[in-house]
Amino acid sequence: MTDQFQSSPARSEGRTVQIDVPALARVEGEGALHLRIRGDEIEELVLQIYEPPRLFEKALEGRSFEEVPDMVARICGICPVAYQISAVNALESAFDIKVDPWVQAMRRALYCGEWIESHCLHIHLLAAPDFFGYESAIQMAREHPEVVRRGLKLQGLGNDLIRLFGARSVHPVSVRVGGFHRAPAVNEVAAMRERLYAALIDSEALVRWTGSIRVPDDQQRFPSVAMRSGEEYPIQRGYISADDGLAIGPEQFEHHFTQQHVAYSTALYSHYRGGAYLVGPLARLNLNRDRLTAAHQQLLQDAGIAAPSANMFNSVVARAVEVHYAIGEAARLLENYKIPTSPAAAVTPRAGVGYGCSEAPRGLLWHRYRVDAQGQILEANIIPPTSQNQARIEQDLRLSLLAFGLHHDDEQLRLHCEKVIRNYDPCISCATHFLRLRTERL
Amino acid sequence: MTNVRVIGIGSPAGDDQAGWLVVDALQRLDLTERLPCALRIVALDRPSAQLIHEFEDADVVVLVDATRTGARPGTVHRIARSECFEVDRSLSGHQLGVASALELADALELLPADLRIYGIEMQSAMANCGPSHCVASAACELAQIIADELLQRFGAPAASDAAG
Repeated sequence: MTDQFQSSPARSEGRTVQIDVPALARVEGEGALHLRIRGDEIEELVLQIYEPPRLFEKALEGRSFEEVPDMVARICGICPVAYQISAVNALESAFDIKVDPWVQAMRRALYCGEWIESHCLHIHLLAAPDFFGYESAIQMAREHPEVVRRGLKLQGLGNDLIRLFGARSVHPVSVRVGGFHRAPAVNEVAAMRERLYAALIDSEALVRWTGSIRVPDDQQRFPSVAMRSGEEYPIQRGYISADDGLAIGPEQFEHHFTQQHVAYSTALYSHYRGGAYLVGPLARLNLNRDRLTAAHQQLLQDAGIAAPSANMFNSVVARAVEVHYAIGEAARLLENYKIPTSPAAAVTPRAGVGYGCSEAPRGLLWHRYRVDAQGQILEANIIPPTSQNQARIEQDLRLSLLAFGLHHDDEQLRLHCEKVIRNYDPCISCATHFLRLRTERL
Repeated sequence: MTNVRVIGIGSPAGDDQAGWLVVDALQRLDLTERLPCALRIVALDRPSAQLIHEFEDADVVVLVDATRTGARPGTVHRIARSECFEVDRSLSGHQLGVASALELADALELLPADLRIYGIEMQSAMANCGPSHCVASAACELAQIIADELLQRFGAPAASDAAG
């Protein structure tokens, strides 16, 4: 939680300065940033992920397809639903299962719960203190209790929506290949629907509040990559798109996006057309603004968000508008709710390869599974949004630091780097959080 | 009617189950019928914001978690709010541990006026292990202590007490 800040004294000639920040608060996972500045230029900037590999994909091998949704949920405590839905999408494609509209609608409603809780957590406890110059959410809460209280209330609503379907908000247990293990009771759904409608006032106020936050005007060029899905804003299904016109199914992902190891990181780096790209709320918004209602679009216009936006700091408004959208969408999906004859389609495994993706709160989450005739996992490949954003974070840091000005002192540079990184809501792991920043001035 | 919450915090890892064991033991004591207050007994798997939600509309909160202070395993601690901040900070590297959640609740003016915090000293918190015998025993003892306190404060005397 606390940043231990150490800085060596500047030398009079060449100004060699080294900064170590052993712990960055308010990001998920273990990472480090190495920054070397020579004069007015950044000589080296490396986002180093040194967290040990967790080997989930290897652990899935030999397991039955039936175990996959509950196993992949453990990858993340903040976005377990995203892992579950991408997995079942992939396995259902391998088994050629078409789920019915009830299953699609309820998966979308469940997923809305995850967007609400994850985005509200990030906006209020992780990102917002940066924009107001507070050291922590606790400090911000003392001066703006009504804002944080509203955020936690919305986050709690998201958790309760996940719990409605999955029995618990962390690692829910209801999702299965073909549908759900159980359908929630009618009276529980009705009560949730009323709460969702009632929360729309708060979520609209949240969008307006985030729109009022002054953020740096830091315009950058980057490709946005996100799903598109029929007439709806992409959440649990769709195809993969980019702002250069790319439109591909999940089975083509590996033909267009490359994953590579770099010496300094245990995480894979993703590239699209040989360069960094953005996934996440701002990329979704950039590619899917036309899928929002006129009222949502008006809110974005009132907040001064360009379409598309080239300012990564607009991500906070993108998250807020997605919270507002998800609350209204979940309420709509729960209208006229009826318990189906069966909450899941019949599943007959068969040998093959399945591909699936969905829009996790942090962006595109892609899965591939190779299975045998009994549905046993032979091979798994999971590409999470944070690894896709790593190259973009490095690129952003470089551009953003130059725009901010390298003449700032080390503490100011460190705080700016942290702000840039946190803005992506990186989920390097679900366990600890750790950033070391070493800055050398030569 | 007074709203009373008993919240046990834990995880499936060995003695870290202490809070959950107290919740289980309290539920077995079936206090609801004997207490003319609105009692809710809750097991949480992480403190974070969920803990703060549990404070809303609660008049009295009893919080139970595993502790590691160097005391004999199974020792029951009654922890003052000010001590809790210090104890937890030294133990938890998580983003929003019990101490931070309490601090955030305090900042939001959601901290219940009557907050009692108990800790059970743990021996080990190994994954895929059950609780040690001393922690399991301490959890039952603490559940009885909490039940007695609540009955003394809010409840009608138990039949056996009345007869005695």
